[in-house]
Amino acid sequence: MTSSAQVGEGGAPALQVRSLHAGYDKLVVLSGVDLEISRGEWLALLGPNASGKTTLLHCIAGMLVPSAGGIAICGCPLRQDAMGAKRQLGFGCAPEALPGLLTGRQCLEVYAAAKGLAAIDADVLELAGQFAFTDMLDRFVGSYSLGTRQKLAVLLALLGEPALVVLDEAFNGLDPASALVLKRHLRSRVSAGRCAVLLATHALDVVERYSDRAVLLLGGRIARQWSGQELAALRAMPGEGLEAALAAACVGTT
Amino acid sequence: MQAGSLPAGIPRRLARRPHLAVALLRWRNAYRLNRPRLLGGAALVLALALAVLAAPPAAAVLHWLARHPVVTLAIVACLFGLSVMRRQERIQSEAATSWLAALPVPRSSIARLVLGTVARLLAAIVFLGLARAVGRLAATEAWRLFCMVAAGALAGTLAGALTGLPLRAGAAGSPGWHYASVRRARSRWATAPALTPLSYWPVAQGRIFSRPKTSRVVLFALLAIPAGRRDPGEVALAVAAGCLTAFTLVSLSTAAVRTAGDAARWLAPTTLRLRTFIAAFIWAGAVKQAAVLAVVIFLACAVDYAAALRDGAALAAAYVALSCAAAAAACARASRRVGLGAARRGP
Repeated sequence: MTSSAQVGEGGAPALQVRSLHAGYDKLVVLSGVDLEISRGEWLALLGPNASGKTTLLHCIAGMLVPSAGGIAICGCPLRQDAMGAKRQLGFGCAPEALPGLLTGRQCLEVYAAAKGLAAIDADVLELAGQFAFTDMLDRFVGSYSLGTRQKLAVLLALLGEPALVVLDEAFNGLDPASALVLKRHLRSRVSAGRCAVLLATHALDVVERYSDRAVLLLGGRIARQWSGQELAALRAMPGEGLEAALAAACVGTT
Repeated sequence: MQAGSLPAGIPRRLARRPHLAVALLRWRNAYRLNRPRLLGGAALVLALALAVLAAPPAAAVLHWLARHPVVTLAIVACLFGLSVMRRQERIQSEAATSWLAALPVPRSSIARLVLGTVARLLAAIVFLGLARAVGRLAATEAWRLFCMVAAGALAGTLAGALTGLPLRAGAAGSPGWHYASVRRARSRWATAPALTPLSYWPVAQGRIFSRPKTSRVVLFALLAIPAGRRDPGEVALAVAAGCLTAFTLVSLSTAAVRTAGDAARWLAPTTLRLRTFIAAFIWAGAVKQAAVLAVVIFLACAVDYAAALRDGAALAAAYVALSCAAAAAACARASRRVGLGAARRGP
């Protein structure tokens, strides 16, 4: 695990979020979120249900327009240069958002073409093999289980060597073997400085063992941060560790 | 569900009929949340109906239908039968996926089928009433059409219910993708990925909307046309073929419009541009519609060569263009909403 976060290519961080405000109509979800992730860093985004994690990820993916604030991916401001920013982004969509009437192979092909790739990356195909996903490639996504859809969503997010990989509850529904494969794969990409990972999750074992840093989103703001050293200390603690620290942070802030 | 726990305004007799109670609540909530939009939509539909009635061919078509009650009966029976079969299939597929599926209560399938039929019948009667009110139909013609529509609705509902899926308790319908077929993958899918398969999505959805099973109800209506007319067989075949063709075309158009939003949302985080997205999304559906219409024109040439080529080709081109325009508009609207490419307006 790398504790020293590398700076992204050209000196710009992989993700920079400044004073972000967002919501839906009159409902304010995010109110002043500041966040920065460097290439070669795995950041875990924690928070109770309805704290704004998915809304933040949708803003980063350009699917939701923030009411104020700015987002830049590898130095490309999302509002002014959406295409430049999206070129660096790998977004893991919700499993239910995958097209049920295309096959897994067609999804991979269309997504790669939509990203303007000349070919599908060899290591993504290798990961599909490690996921035991190859046999499912020619079946309709509509026939997939939650875990199989999740595998496809992750494979799509990793297409095209993105500098920033954004995943929302990517371990939901995955069998333990596939979850381990994914954790190791992401860790190796991050450690090699190939990308930064932003993972919204409730799986605290992933946060403790694989993340470089964790932030707690509460009431639309970043309420608490844990550095790599703090996470290591929590991991070494007997008992509940991060779980208790997270619960205490939630209670303390509310 | 206990009667005392029902939300205010929901009749107590629906306490043991949660499917109906939920449908009623859904309508009520939609009305409360979007009252201006719903009332505006209703006004728009009314205005469209009046515009259709104001068009010169409307009166001629209505007069022709009133003069040919058997054909009218067959068309109405086909439409109601297909509608009942689709609702039956939806109810059956919901049996496995609905959040109410595990409740030990009746699914109220028959009540839901009947309510749907009654709503469509009321809409048809209102349309006939409007036609009479604006002077497009004489009283005797309006009455004759009303009788044919009512009889056709009854016959179509019965035919659809008998030939469709049985509404057994515990039985679940096939999922939608069961009706679509997997296309063979391109050999260079990994080494030279293309957007080609994207347009298979609305085509597959169109196939699901016009499930092949539904042709049975058309055959039933075809057989129901009594013999004794000068050319009952030809009329019946024309009616059946017309219904199937119209259903296929409309299914493809509807599928493209309905799936555009999901496709745009799925591809929003990519660098795909709007024009490329629209072209890649609608091409296969447009080609299929053009092929269906070409076959119809070819067959119509046997009856009237010149008219089929002149009028048929113009109408076919207009339909395909209109369908593509509707799909493109849906794609553009969805893209702006989810920020596909750079097609996003600021807050």
